Amino acid sequence: MGGGVVLIPALTLLGLDIKHAIAVSIISVIATSSGAASAYVRDRITNLKVGMFLEMFTIVGAIVGATITLASQNHFLFILFGIVLLGSWVALFIRQRSTVRQEVHQDRFSRWLQLEGSYYDQAAQKTIHYKGVRAYLGGPLMFGAGLIAGLLGIGAGALKVLIHDLVMGLPPKVSTTTSNLIIGVTALAGTSVYLAGGLINPGLAAPVVLGVVTGAFLGTRFLVRISNQVVRTIFLYVLIVLGVEMILRGLGVI
Amino acid sequence: MTSSASSPPPGQAAARRAPAADMESLVGTILMVGVITSMTLILLGVIWHFAVNGNLTLDYTITGVNFFGFIVQIVQGLFSGAYRPRLLVRLGVVVLLLTPYLRVFASVGYFAFVEHNLKYSLFTLFVFSVLTYSLFLR
Repeated sequence: MGGGVVLIPALTLLGLDIKHAIAVSIISVIATSSGAASAYVRDRITNLKVGMFLEMFTIVGAIVGATITLASQNHFLFILFGIVLLGSWVALFIRQRSTVRQEVHQDRFSRWLQLEGSYYDQAAQKTIHYKGVRAYLGGPLMFGAGLIAGLLGIGAGALKVLIHDLVMGLPPKVSTTTSNLIIGVTALAGTSVYLAGGLINPGLAAPVVLGVVTGAFLGTRFLVRISNQVVRTIFLYVLIVLGVEMILRGLGVI
Repeated sequence: MTSSASSPPPGQAAARRAPAADMESLVGTILMVGVITSMTLILLGVIWHFAVNGNLTLDYTITGVNFFGFIVQIVQGLFSGAYRPRLLVRLGVVVLLLTPYLRVFASVGYFAFVEHNLKYSLFTLFVFSVLTYSLFLR
């Protein structure tokens, strides 16, 4: 998490046009999310059915979102990006404060979708069984998450995880890993629109993607050594600063 | 002995669990092989270009072709004397985009022919169709 939201402001500060920055970012999102997802899927924490049900909504959202971006003016994208960054801050904040209740009663639609599963929790050393709920609400909300992902070339992981946690009642580990699986396909749907719009530049994307993947790989190695709380706190401050900065640039103040 | 009394018959439980487990290795393997292959191709392309030109500027944009047209261009390039480092980078990007696409394709096949789950076959088929349509956009 946190690839695109930092990458796009950085690329625009280096002088790249925001639409091209979005297109570069969405390609690197495919790489990082697919790489992470491959490990989580094989660890059997990801819920493939939940992922594949929700993908139907996010890919359509991403195509709509990317189409809007192609037609939008740059200052609108800056402001929207800033708002989404501040929104991610709120999402992370809510998630930190909330405790997820274990859902026992599954609604009929979620049961029809077979949204349940179990995984082995290493820390607790036991198998955790869970049931997904409110899929009728989760699906349409994921359309919105896909829309934002396609529009701004980010994974929108914070928003997706929040929907999985609070609306669908999935355990936090399942939320995070399943959202990773969804992000890859969603980013591909957005990429195809940017490809059609002539914004994909493989020569420009190549060094950036390599850098982001290396960073993500080293980051996960390095982050396990410092406490989770420190990482969260730093990340929350970064989101606020970048969010305000993008809005001000969109308004033409700086 | 006590635990076996409450669990379903072993054969039935294994039959229900085994396909899902295989699905996970299938999806996980496709994603892993795809990402590693594409990163290797891109890295080789960038290093090769740097060795020849001493810079990282491989700037150019794809216009006027859809994804499948882009693949055709690359294949044509492989057989002609096109600039090889650029071709490797292009190939790496194509493999990267194909990775989630193939993952969805494999899921359709798995739900349809191994798990015989009509509902999820249709769901994944929908995702595959939308992606195919969008990759044909130009």
